[in-house]
Amino acid sequence: MKKVLLTVLALVFITGIGNVTAASRDYISIVGSSTVYPFATVVAEKFGKSTSYKTPKIESTGSGGGHKLFGAGVGVQHPDITNSSRRIKKSELEKNMQNGVKEVVEVKIGYDGIVIANSKKAPIFKLTRKDVFMALAANVPNPDGSETFVANPYKTWKDVNPSLPNIAIEVLGPPPTSGTRDAFVEMAMEGGGKKFEMISALEKSDGKKYTEICHTIREDGAYIEAGENDNLIVQKLDANANALGIFGFSFLDQNTDKLQGSFVDDVQPTFDAIADGSYPVSRPLFFYVKKAHVDQIPGIREFLAEFTSEQAWGDEGYLTDKGLIPMPAAERKKYKDAVKNLVPLKLSDL
Amino acid sequence: MQTEKNASVSRTSVDAASGNPAVAGKHRKPHLVDRENRATVGEINVPNPKMQCRDVSVFYDYGEKEAIRKVSLDIGQNEVIAMIGPSGCGKSTFIRCLNRMNDTIDGCVVKGRITLDEINIYDKSIDVVPLRAQVGMVFQKPNPFPKSIYDNIAYGPKIHGLVQNKSETDDLVESSLKRAGLWNEVKDRLDQPGTSLSGGQQQRLCIARTIAVDPEVILMDEPCSALDPIATAIIEDLIDELRQEYSIAIVTHSMQQASRVSQRTAFFHLGDLIEVGPTEQIFLNPLHQLTHDYITGRFG
Amino acid sequence: MSKRDTSRTMNIVRKGMGRRYRAEKRFKRIGLVAIIFSLSCLATLFISIIGNGHTAFLQTVVKMDIYLDPAEFDPESLNRADYQGTIKKALRTMFPQVTSRGDKKKLYAMISTGATFQLMDVIKQTPDLIGTTISLWVPADDDVDMFMKGYIRRDVEETDRRLNDLQISWIDALAHDGRIKKRFNTTFFTSGDSREPELAGIWGATCGSFYTLLITLLLSFPVGVAAAVYLEEFAPKNRFTDLIEVNINNLAAVPSIVFGLLGLAVFLNLFGLPRSSPLVGGLVLTLMTLPTIIIASRAALKSVPPSVREAALSVGASKTQMVSHHVLPLALPGMLTGTIIGMAQALGETAPLLMIGMVAFIVDIPGGLQDPSTVLPVQIFLWADSPERAFLEKTSAAIMVLLAFLVTMNAVAVFLRKKFERRW
Ligand SMILES: Nc1ncnc2c1ncn2[C@@H]1O[C@H](COP(=O)(O)OP(=O)(O)O)[C@@H](O)[C@H]1O
Ligand SMILES: [Mg+2]
Repeated sequence: MKKVLLTVLALVFITGIGNVTAASRDYISIVGSSTVYPFATVVAEKFGKSTSYKTPKIESTGSGGGHKLFGAGVGVQHPDITNSSRRIKKSELEKNMQNGVKEVVEVKIGYDGIVIANSKKAPIFKLTRKDVFMALAANVPNPDGSETFVANPYKTWKDVNPSLPNIAIEVLGPPPTSGTRDAFVEMAMEGGGKKFEMISALEKSDGKKYTEICHTIREDGAYIEAGENDNLIVQKLDANANALGIFGFSFLDQNTDKLQGSFVDDVQPTFDAIADGSYPVSRPLFFYVKKAHVDQIPGIREFLAEFTSEQAWGDEGYLTDKGLIPMPAAERKKYKDAVKNLVPLKLSDL
Repeated sequence: MQTEKNASVSRTSVDAASGNPAVAGKHRKPHLVDRENRATVGEINVPNPKMQCRDVSVFYDYGEKEAIRKVSLDIGQNEVIAMIGPSGCGKSTFIRCLNRMNDTIDGCVVKGRITLDEINIYDKSIDVVPLRAQVGMVFQKPNPFPKSIYDNIAYGPKIHGLVQNKSETDDLVESSLKRAGLWNEVKDRLDQPGTSLSGGQQQRLCIARTIAVDPEVILMDEPCSALDPIATAIIEDLIDELRQEYSIAIVTHSMQQASRVSQRTAFFHLGDLIEVGPTEQIFLNPLHQLTHDYITGRFG
Repeated sequence: MSKRDTSRTMNIVRKGMGRRYRAEKRFKRIGLVAIIFSLSCLATLFISIIGNGHTAFLQTVVKMDIYLDPAEFDPESLNRADYQGTIKKALRTMFPQVTSRGDKKKLYAMISTGATFQLMDVIKQTPDLIGTTISLWVPADDDVDMFMKGYIRRDVEETDRRLNDLQISWIDALAHDGRIKKRFNTTFFTSGDSREPELAGIWGATCGSFYTLLITLLLSFPVGVAAAVYLEEFAPKNRFTDLIEVNINNLAAVPSIVFGLLGLAVFLNLFGLPRSSPLVGGLVLTLMTLPTIIIASRAALKSVPPSVREAALSVGASKTQMVSHHVLPLALPGMLTGTIIGMAQALGETAPLLMIGMVAFIVDIPGGLQDPSTVLPVQIFLWADSPERAFLEKTSAAIMVLLAFLVTMNAVAVFLRKKFERRW
């Protein structure tokens, strides 16, 4: 019994460690944003099933984590592609170049809307970004008109805007670690905060204070961090008709029987409204390819071709079924060409 | 500290070389409280001893606690020597020195000199493993291995390489069980667990296990204290038989048992060996007042 | 003692009896309530999981008659044939009344993309079928599946359903012809992850968990037992060993993600082992379970009665013989219990695996220790986070599979324990 165990152990080690020296990889390794993950995985699966290449492996590490892993160096132990729910930062690209990842190809794949939704059992909300800011910011301009900030005093939506219903503010949303939260504070909160003159004045005089006011969400219980799991928010909204929830458009798209997206600045979050840019809370999604890996790891070119094909990211493509909002045709063509020729991103582009 | 201990040797213990220990002891006024001044009375020497202990002190807890002090005693060939004394006086501690069982206790320190056939068993060059085969031990609580009766006996000879094949082992198991007087009771169920036997049978199994490795000395620490009178009688008979071939040191709580099985008796009290002598003398005419008080039941 | 005295004592005793019995009853009742409470919590959990998940074991399939046009399928170049087109054509023949472009798109959406691959497999296996019309049960799309299982209801507003009235009428037509049915979902047990709920399976994650735990077991059990035996039986008691002991106890309380970071730094960055592989996962989980196993094994060794040790030593066994012949066999059941607790922890762990890339979308079934793979709890986590409604039932079903895995593991441990257990 002991001898058997030892032999097995030895075998495991020989097979385990022995092959490592071969150091090759026959599948594409992708990391990055959890927002892009649902789209990248569909393409990967399609690619894996319809070609002779292996299905790419996709890790959901968040945009920042993805860039870090991606930019760590060139070689099979590093990923080939990273997904990002924001554009790569200049500092990240510089870091990549320091680590030898000199040529990175940027691919924009479409847009994602962030919705503020509630249960169908309750009346629909018609919000402005200013309402959103007043309801959710930690500090707001003093309601008495003096030029000071006070801790958010608004308890009900009616306090925020008399046309809104008289129910307590209760919003379920993602925690600070989430990319959805970053995008939400940037587009909805900051967009609303700017409507106050004293805040937009701050933007020039005291940039730090400006970001702090616009990006800090109240912590007195009106905003409830519901974890990274958007499904959980959906379920809670269904159970609590008075609550609003913040999550990606694809979750609304899958639950239209239960939930309704609130109007923001008079626009409802529909596929078309996000696609044509009229819905204000939406963001572009990207992925980045390591050019040095393209002919080293089998299948990268073909994978890129699949991702940028009309049947995937086109107006009627299968990614739209998963909730991706496609880019206009001209923009698609631009990126498709960039991919075909593997045009690397320059620091000056950012 | 060390020098003080050395200095006390001549006072508290009988120097074997002085020639007349009994007399030396007699002239002292033994005192219950003054432990420093208690020496052994009676004849510690025997002609042609199997084992000799000289100035044996044992400390527990890394020298914090002295369990026995300066015990000097001979164990003769083919004799049964009984250790008696009240609980906690150090009988077990002493007997466990004889096969270095105390080595297994963390923080136990043994000082002094113990020889087996004139070889110091605490010498650095001595290997305890063969020593323990030479000096076997039977414990107070029967402790057969959780294995079959057969394996209980065969285990020792197997690890020492005393048997080469199955038939030799079978023979040794049979003869050991026979000598322990257990053969007729267990010969049909050698494959059953040793723990399934009664207490008295288990203890005889332990004795058989000990003699299977053919020791020269057998130590027994209160072997009958967990047994009923009939089982006790059987074991006492067995001890008497075993004396023909082995030297036996037995710790016992029962003075009757000591008087029945032993030729010599040693009386311990609070870590000191108070008196040693022929069993008859100890029980009929003790030299020391404490011994007298103990055997007449004044304390204990 | 006089007679009066005894009766007085008895009176006092009797008077107290009522109070004592009441206390006893109260105590029993509290215990009973505690047990009922925990049992009902467990029952609620199981009922909700099984209630949500049992439907995942069924899959809606649609019977299609597909003509395999010899003009399309050239046995020489089967890879290039238009399987999707063939499926679409077959759908159009089944519903000739559908003509508008939008409606056709809706019609195609009723069948899973898995149908294409199924057809490909069938033809590649038996090319002789080319030129004939075959009947094939293909998986329906997840929305159709949800409808068939009652999760999408007819009575809600058409715009709010993921299936419109036309699609529902097609389903009714299929049902009328006996061309749609629910059958046991073998896909769920045989395939890897997928973004299409109807094609997603648990087998990939199960294999990943198996390989990972195999490594964990093969490393942590012998290493843990050896460490425990050394520390308990052989190590000198000094400052240094005390330090080791304290540290092992502390390690058992370290949050598991820390081990993930360690694995990332050592196994991936230093040794260059492959990311996302069960090999690295197993190594990391070994680090995590080792303290548990060592502590349990030491407790098991400590509980072996000293009389057994004395018995062995007194017949002249060396220390090693004493330990390996007598102490270890007696301690083994306790060690196995500790190991199984450690393994159960390892089975449910996701946090440390995040750092070494095992929280990933992996479709292919891992075939070895170095293939990228994921594990059961990670699969549950990933599905729970997917937007498609149909993943909800998959999540619960995956939890059931995880529990089954756990129960199997425990059963094996109980069996081994029974086998090794000895009385003394
Ligand atoms: N392992 C030990 N650690 C510390 N003290 C011990 C140990 N074993 C015995 N002692 C102490 O040594 C003294 C003698 O004990 P022992 O030899 O067992 O007495 P006896 O067998 O005569 O009853 C007692 O005071 C006892 O408490
Ligand atoms: Mg004792």
